[in-house]
Amino acid sequence: MKDILIPVLLILLAPAIGGLVYGFERIVKARMQRRTGPPLLQPFYDFLKLADKRKMIVHSTHAFLGIMHFVSLWFALAVLLLGGDLILVIFLHLLSTSLLILAGYSTRSIFSHLGANRTAISILCYEPVLILIAVSAFMLTGSFDTSSIFNYGASLLFKMPLAFVALLMVLPIKLKKSPFDIAEGHQEITGGVELEFSGIFYEAIYIAKWLDCVFCYTLAYLFGANDPLLGMGLVLFVFLFINGLDNSSARVNYKQMLKFSLVVALPIAFINLLITILFLQL
Amino acid sequence: MYALIISLFILPVAVSVLVLILPKNLSRILVIASAAILSVISFYLLVSIEEPFHFGVSHYMNEVVSVADILLLLYFGSVAIRKKSWLVGLLTVLQFGALLYLLKIIPEEYQAQFTVDKLSVFMFLLINVISGIISIFSLQYIDGEDCSAFRKKYFLSILFWFIAVMNIIVSSDNMECFFLFFELTTLASFLFIGFRKDEISGKNALTALWMNQIGGLAILGAIFFIIHNGYGTATFSNLLAHSSVPGILLPLALLCVAALVKGAQMPFSKWLLGAMVAPTPVSALLHSSTMVKIAPFIILRLSPALKGTPVASVVIAMTGFVFVAAAIGALSQDNFKRILAHSTIALLALMIMMAAVGTPVTIIAALTLVFFHGLSKCMLFLNAGILERIFHFKQTSDMDKLAETGPFTSLVISIGFMSLLLPPFGAFMGKWFGIESLGVLAINQKMLGAFVIVAIACGGAILSLLYFKVLGLLIARTGDHDGVKFEKTKPLYSATISILLGLIILSVLSYPFLMSHYFVPVASQTLSLPIEVTIYGWKLHVGAMALPVVPLLIAFLLLPITIITATFIRFKNVDRVKEYACGEKTNYSFSSFYFATDRATPYFSVIGILFFITLIVVSIL
Repeated sequence: MKDILIPVLLILLAPAIGGLVYGFERIVKARMQRRTGPPLLQPFYDFLKLADKRKMIVHSTHAFLGIMHFVSLWFALAVLLLGGDLILVIFLHLLSTSLLILAGYSTRSIFSHLGANRTAISILCYEPVLILIAVSAFMLTGSFDTSSIFNYGASLLFKMPLAFVALLMVLPIKLKKSPFDIAEGHQEITGGVELEFSGIFYEAIYIAKWLDCVFCYTLAYLFGANDPLLGMGLVLFVFLFINGLDNSSARVNYKQMLKFSLVVALPIAFINLLITILFLQL
Repeated sequence: MYALIISLFILPVAVSVLVLILPKNLSRILVIASAAILSVISFYLLVSIEEPFHFGVSHYMNEVVSVADILLLLYFGSVAIRKKSWLVGLLTVLQFGALLYLLKIIPEEYQAQFTVDKLSVFMFLLINVISGIISIFSLQYIDGEDCSAFRKKYFLSILFWFIAVMNIIVSSDNMECFFLFFELTTLASFLFIGFRKDEISGKNALTALWMNQIGGLAILGAIFFIIHNGYGTATFSNLLAHSSVPGILLPLALLCVAALVKGAQMPFSKWLLGAMVAPTPVSALLHSSTMVKIAPFIILRLSPALKGTPVASVVIAMTGFVFVAAAIGALSQDNFKRILAHSTIALLALMIMMAAVGTPVTIIAALTLVFFHGLSKCMLFLNAGILERIFHFKQTSDMDKLAETGPFTSLVISIGFMSLLLPPFGAFMGKWFGIESLGVLAINQKMLGAFVIVAIACGGAILSLLYFKVLGLLIARTGDHDGVKFEKTKPLYSATISILLGLIILSVLSYPFLMSHYFVPVASQTLSLPIEVTIYGWKLHVGAMALPVVPLLIAFLLLPITIITATFIRFKNVDRVKEYACGEKTNYSFSSFYFATDRATPYFSVIGILFFITLIVVSIL
């Protein structure tokens, strides 16, 4: 009973946790720039403010796809937290991203289109790496289920540190953080896919971003899954790393991102896979 | 049983003759009725055949087959002379010589000419249902073709004759017979690709002919080595019985070459891409749903003998490469049919790879892919035909208003693409099973497994990039027109598309059932291994693999309902605004992104040729 209770609570509270993480992120980033930053609960104040705005949409298909992006992302996160199959989780995440991309394409807005194009390309950047990491984990634990990583005797971090490095390289792409925030690029394409959503309909996209935070940090946590302290430490490290990087780097263009991912991150994940199957496997 | 199987061979031939003679209305009824009868028969065979069913036909058949072989080669020879193609001529002469020599040395007695097992019936169902639907579709399609009345009848006639050929090819055990029907499918390809009789059709038809003739020559070579090395008669069952004999690898490798050529793997992908000039129902039937499936079929048939051999390793590595290369090639395409052709090559590579790995789970993955790819690609190609005929589109970049002018077609194409890509649809299942089971493979053949997983991961991501590109164009619309009114196409068009759509949705919903009652028995008989299927917890366990049924079914509810609802839903009491455009008033014309990947094609071909050479070399060593 207790086994199932914690994941279910986590799933239900995921948006709230994500919101807090996002609020904390804004404070940390502000402090890095020697600003005070907004209060911790600022994302929730924004949330309430947005709910009160006048309802405006481009067309209903677009707005509805945005909402379903949020729903399907929550579902993918639920499967992950309940200890489901890691490959399936990656594909379900692809499904939710696909709905966002379709939403982007469904309007005749130039920025929305550019954002959707770039989101599609960023899938090419991070998905193969994630699959390779999942397969490496399978080689160690003998199962694709996330729960088996928790039951595995040692921490994945020490067994496959290169996989963690590869994950660090692709997480900024997934979280749309600089230098890989090309899909959002506020100064360039004014938020990309997000642009055409407003008011209560933007809320879905906004919370989906929080959920994505939880999703990514859960992936980081898996590397220290059997030792909660290590796991939390890893999450904190990834958090600081990503936000530090976000503050200190300039945006690259999509070709550079693609090159980086396919020439640097993917080979690292691949070498990790080779090391795992050649030396570590039982 | 015997009578039913024979009727699958005879009935299409009879129909193919009758449509030439009968008046239009009668032949319409005949086509629809026989499509239904063929589907029913193959469905009945599916539920009734348990054990492999061997039967021979009378001794005269051997002579008939030999004479037909010779006649066919004479026809190819005449084509070579007429079109002045030395390549076709050379290959025909080589085939002729090999055939005459074989006829001399082939032993007289054959134990069984035909074997119908679960794998054959699996193919029967796919062939007859899909061909039936396509032939009904073509009744309407060919009506709009700009050609004489006789050629329209002739088109339908070859279509049915092709169904008979396909039914025989998947049940023939005897390789001489298999060779004849393999070459007959090549002939069908040749005739159909050249159907429009313009310059480019003629050129592409010749390419398809000589490339597939290499496959035919490889089969003759396989027969030669089987007889020459003294393994007895040249039948598939005999080959499988001798699977552990050293030296059997060469005939296996040659049969793999035949499969890879038919499956348009690089460098032979050129013929399939060129085949897209044929009328669209032909592309649907021959070049995506049924004929090219001979490739995975041969490998599936041979998989017990292939498993773990160096030949299998080369085939796996090669198809892994083709999966990525074909996906990359597709990114530069704009023509809708060519995009479909590229993705067909990529997915065929995946099927062949799964079949060549040969573990129970990968065989199931291959069968799942063959089945769902057949349905989805057929639907997509038929829609390509509708786009061409009703909306006059051939390029994907023209489609950006389709969501307004043809919401039904756009919706169906969206579902078709999603079924190739996303969970919970079948093609996703195959890919997912593939990654999961190749994880197991890596334990035995570590390096190969690792490379193949990278190939699947990258190829899959590139394919999703490709499909999103097209999907994005399909779903785009403005906020001006809020009503959705399904367009009226021709009744035969909408009927066939609806049937296909229904079949896809039904088979996805019943996937756990299909798995345990359809794919698993076929796989288990093909490998002659019992495969255990149990339901434990929320999961369906198949062999060593667990299928999380509940998340998949929820995903199924989530995705199609989302897409369908998104088309229809209209929010009330919400203001509409124009898109943000920095205050500019200009009209933007949207296009999707393209990658100039054409330059890589020659390199891909070279790598493909190297793989073919390696395949033969490892089989001799």
